[in-house]
Amino acid sequence: MSPGPCESPMRPQPYVVRGVRRETHDVFTLELEPAGDAAPLAFGPGQFTMLYAFGMGEVPISISGDPAGNTMLVHTIRAVGTVTRALERCRKGDVLGVRGPFGTCWPVDEAAGKDVVLAAGGIGLAPLRSVMYRLLARRERYGRIALLYGTRTPEDIVYRDELEEWRGRLDLNVQVTVDRAGSDWRGNVGAVTTLLPRAEFDPANTVAMFCGPEVMMRFTMLALMKRGLQAEQMYLSMERNMKCGIGLCGHCQLGPFFICKDGPVFPYDRVKWLFGREEI
Amino acid sequence: MPKMITEQNLRALIDLLVKEGSRVVGPKAAGTMTLYEPLAAGEELVLTELPRRSAKEAFFPLCETILTYAKGEEGVQVNDIDPARFPETVLVAVRPCDAAAPGILDAVFSWDYDDQFYQERRKKTAIIGLACTKADDACFCTAVGLSPAETQGSDLFLTPLSGGGFRVEAVTEKGEKLLARYSQLFGEAGSAQPLPPAEPGGEKLELARIKAWLDANFESPLWQEIADRCAGCGACAFLCPACHCFDINDEGTEAKGARRKSWDACGFAKFTNHASGHNPRDAQNKRYRNRLMHKFKYYDDKFGKHLCTGCGRCVRACPVGIDIKAVLDEINSK
Repeated sequence: MSPGPCESPMRPQPYVVRGVRRETHDVFTLELEPAGDAAPLAFGPGQFTMLYAFGMGEVPISISGDPAGNTMLVHTIRAVGTVTRALERCRKGDVLGVRGPFGTCWPVDEAAGKDVVLAAGGIGLAPLRSVMYRLLARRERYGRIALLYGTRTPEDIVYRDELEEWRGRLDLNVQVTVDRAGSDWRGNVGAVTTLLPRAEFDPANTVAMFCGPEVMMRFTMLALMKRGLQAEQMYLSMERNMKCGIGLCGHCQLGPFFICKDGPVFPYDRVKWLFGREEI
Repeated sequence: MPKMITEQNLRALIDLLVKEGSRVVGPKAAGTMTLYEPLAAGEELVLTELPRRSAKEAFFPLCETILTYAKGEEGVQVNDIDPARFPETVLVAVRPCDAAAPGILDAVFSWDYDDQFYQERRKKTAIIGLACTKADDACFCTAVGLSPAETQGSDLFLTPLSGGGFRVEAVTEKGEKLLARYSQLFGEAGSAQPLPPAEPGGEKLELARIKAWLDANFESPLWQEIADRCAGCGACAFLCPACHCFDINDEGTEAKGARRKSWDACGFAKFTNHASGHNPRDAQNKRYRNRLMHKFKYYDDKFGKHLCTGCGRCVRACPVGIDIKAVLDEINSK
């Protein structure tokens, strides 16, 4: 499922910015193409790259594009620090460095023949979008698909056009909620867990995947366990400060795991003993 | 017959190796310190002191450039540093606590991806170990399963003889080759008696018992007790032969510059800091706990080894007097 190891893992390959799209006031999407005649990056949904603004630094960013051999490498990024703000200033034609892809993948193939529940919080929708592309490319392989997405306010909704398109499909259950909204919002308000009662699935035959703040993932898991899911049916993507991306530098250590290499996607039963201990 | 080498010939061996173009690294006076540094001649070798920093920097330098880049008309040119250019190296007079460290670090620097810089230096380095005949109060190699006469980790091993000079033992094939190649400098040990090895004090630690306690005590008042003193200075990590964490940083501008890899320490407040301001290990007790857990539990969970050789450097250097051996003794007694 996951492509083989990255060949020159410490060498940023030059990529040219081909597209910049504003998602929200602080989130943007970059479309990147390898410079020269280098081949497009093969990746599995859930993997990330180390995205490098030359002279500024690197950040781990999950890949949010279509894994099916699209020539563009797509990253959706929230501008919060020095490097992501530098990335936000990128325009078409600028050159960035890319290392990767790194890390583990979502169990998209393992989910074949099963119902799928995806729960995303905020920018956590980015790596799950790659999962959606993969599921939709082979829609007939899966049972019911629910995508539950929560974000801060209606203005913070990313991929709005796509969400609306998916929401219009009869073979998908797409639900969106926000933490707070003005009086002009007609949608749901509340945590992602408030959407769960509307998701239908067979607890015995479901795979669930989460990406978002740890507290959101914890409560989603607890709620799904009440609905009958077992720990081994649930997968989550973890996040930590990263430097090397290849399991050497120690920055992303979470207990015995290096998130960059043993993760970022973990089966919940592998990490449940340390989950919720935010200080690890 | 066992071999021996006089101190004079050991220094002559260094001269010869340097002349032949090898990089020879050994304890050397460096300002007020003794450090493992490149030797220009055998006479620079210091045999009386444990160097301030460990020998790991011969494989894993404090700071090194890993690539450079320059923006030009045709995009960005990324220039690699070719590890093939690293010189053949002989590490001389390495204490057993330092010689043991690469064998521990090999696990993390090759468990999945190889650290090419480390691996290339490791491959090209021969280690001439030296037994310790004296220890200080901070030494505790015997407590973690090593000893002042431990040959593992060395390619060639020297034991001081009572009448001067050293008994020589080839531990690996690399060592055999050194012995054969420079046979003119080695003599027969005859009946010369080795000096007795040093006897570091301190109770032996039951590392399996300590690990079992760590497995069960992620939450314990102990962490706060230690952290109430910890200054988060990182000296322990910088002196440790087995700490492997590093940072990658950029020196230069958008147009031109270098990426550098440099030692880092999980005791630093910003080690885990996210750009968003969220810091998963946001207090010193959590950081100290991670240091101890990494050394005696996590690394063991992952690689079946512990990240400590008992060199005692962290104990000697700690500005607030945190003694890792005392902490381990306390855990050992629980």
